[in-house]
Amino acid sequence: MLQQIPTIVVDGILLGLIYAILGLGLSLVLGIMGIVNVAHSAFIMLGSFFAFELFRRMGVDPIVAFFLSFPVFFVLGALVYRLLVTRVERAPQTQGLVAMFGLMVLIENLGTIAWTTDTRVITAPYTNASLVVGNVTLVHVKLIAGLLALLLIAGFWALLRFTLVGKAIRAMGQNRVAATTIGVNVARLSAIMFGLGIACAGAAGVALAMIFPFSPNTQVQWLAWAFLVVILGGLGNVANTLVAGLVVGLIQTFCTAFMPFDYVYLVLYVLLAVILVVRREGLSHAVRRAI
Amino acid sequence: MFSVFFLPSKKGSRAARVGWALWACLLVALIAYGAFGRQLFILSTLGTVFLYVVLTQAWNLLGGYGGYLNFGMVTFFGIGAYTTAILHHHYGLSAFLTAPVAGIVAATAGLLIGIPTLRLRGAYFALVTMIITFAVQILALDLEITQGALGIYMPRLPLTPLGVERLFYFLFLGFAVLVTALVYAIQHSNIGWALVAIREDEDAAEIVGVKTVEVKWAANALACFIAGVVGGLYAQRIAYVEPIGTFAFDTSLNVVLMAVIGGPGTWQGPLIGAPLVLLVADALRVTFTSEVNRVIFSVVVIVIALYIPGGVMGVLQRWRRRQSAAPAPPSRTP
Repeated sequence: MLQQIPTIVVDGILLGLIYAILGLGLSLVLGIMGIVNVAHSAFIMLGSFFAFELFRRMGVDPIVAFFLSFPVFFVLGALVYRLLVTRVERAPQTQGLVAMFGLMVLIENLGTIAWTTDTRVITAPYTNASLVVGNVTLVHVKLIAGLLALLLIAGFWALLRFTLVGKAIRAMGQNRVAATTIGVNVARLSAIMFGLGIACAGAAGVALAMIFPFSPNTQVQWLAWAFLVVILGGLGNVANTLVAGLVVGLIQTFCTAFMPFDYVYLVLYVLLAVILVVRREGLSHAVRRAI
Repeated sequence: MFSVFFLPSKKGSRAARVGWALWACLLVALIAYGAFGRQLFILSTLGTVFLYVVLTQAWNLLGGYGGYLNFGMVTFFGIGAYTTAILHHHYGLSAFLTAPVAGIVAATAGLLIGIPTLRLRGAYFALVTMIITFAVQILALDLEITQGALGIYMPRLPLTPLGVERLFYFLFLGFAVLVTALVYAIQHSNIGWALVAIREDEDAAEIVGVKTVEVKWAANALACFIAGVVGGLYAQRIAYVEPIGTFAFDTSLNVVLMAVIGGPGTWQGPLIGAPLVLLVADALRVTFTSEVNRVIFSVVVIVIALYIPGGVMGVLQRWRRRQSAAPAPPSRTP
């Protein structure tokens, strides 16, 4: 058992990186725009099938699909923002939730019509290869997916920290009215932010598809994971989301090593309840604004 | 925790009296059909409609009046179904006796989920209820007491198929009337107004002395209790519970659809939404697959959320207000 621990830790970190990008889009959209995007996991599922279709039809490698997914889902997200979110942004919270819930069901069922409920996998040439360093086994796909996720997180961090758009987005998150006053185009920036959130979901879907089997109707469980990361890491902060993702990943690999797989879910749900009780002051005010 | 009292409402106009007369006629017609109808299919479909009326009314309490959406109503329904099934399997108790126990177990589960999430504002309750169904389903699959994927069989009642459907037709109809009356009473009590105040502006509600958190907990526990009882009865109706079907996400989805389409936050909303969604869904099922069906309904939900927030009742209320406002000429003064 003890020799396995390094492998478990490395596995946990790699998984954690992917969980971090699962939660990142949700966290930014919720923290900066105050929108509870219930349909987040539906876009993750679409990302997985984006990679699947590219791979099946054109033999495009999932790594390439990861980079392709970003612009595609960015446009998709901006469209959803224009068509749907702008109309419920100022409405009472329940209305927005219902609309996003409807969108989730719509995407899930369109997915089921297109791809049926069969469970799919992507088998890239390097899927079953692994690298052994000392007594740590590194599975290639996990390594690649983890590194891609890290790249995405670093990109988001740099974007929000160093670019003018990033600074404007953060200003909007801190105070929408003040940001408008100093000349930030809040409407355009919100569309960009929402697009980035969905792009993140799509890319996360590609990364997930490299490692896990997927099907259209099991997407809600990824919402659970993303939501857990968001609650643990707080809203709208890239670095904290990364840490939260790593924690969730490590908890999962340690739990799977020591108990039947299904119980991991239960451990995570209990964790979710505990965090909600412990962290309630930190969470309460952030979601109060819009949807 | 808090006292409940009723607030006097202004006595009805002519339109309101006509409305009451229509509801009464409908009830009489349904009772007559239950007593004399011989079509098994219609009896069974209407029985399911009543079941959903009960679930949607329960959802309406916190979701419609309070604005806290429960996206996992099936969790509590399924917990109720499993409770009566387990009590029958291990102790030989009839589901009709143990349905209240099923309600209490479901209400306890509701409190367990509500206590951490309903202290918080915003969407935490909605998100947790949406994802908790999976956890409960996994428990039902893995625990020994639920017999995993095998499920639990219950003995069929010693009646003809028509007799069984008729029994549950009346059972669910009675329950639907009871729960609707309860929701009506709550709407006209201080608790109903407290929930509406929470929906409209929770800060203001708290400032004027509404115990917001406790009211939300109570409404949620009551809703879960009702869902649990009806789940317990449902287990006896189909005489078999298993994890996938009993915790089907479709049930949660249907409840939200019915409430949103009928008009959340009104006692009439579920009475309109449940038959509308279920009968249209049944009609579509003949021609389309269930996925196409859900695509259609999800588009309807999005459209309603974007353009017609009050659902059918919202449209009716606006129309009635315009009718009553129409005779008075508009003021000319700027």
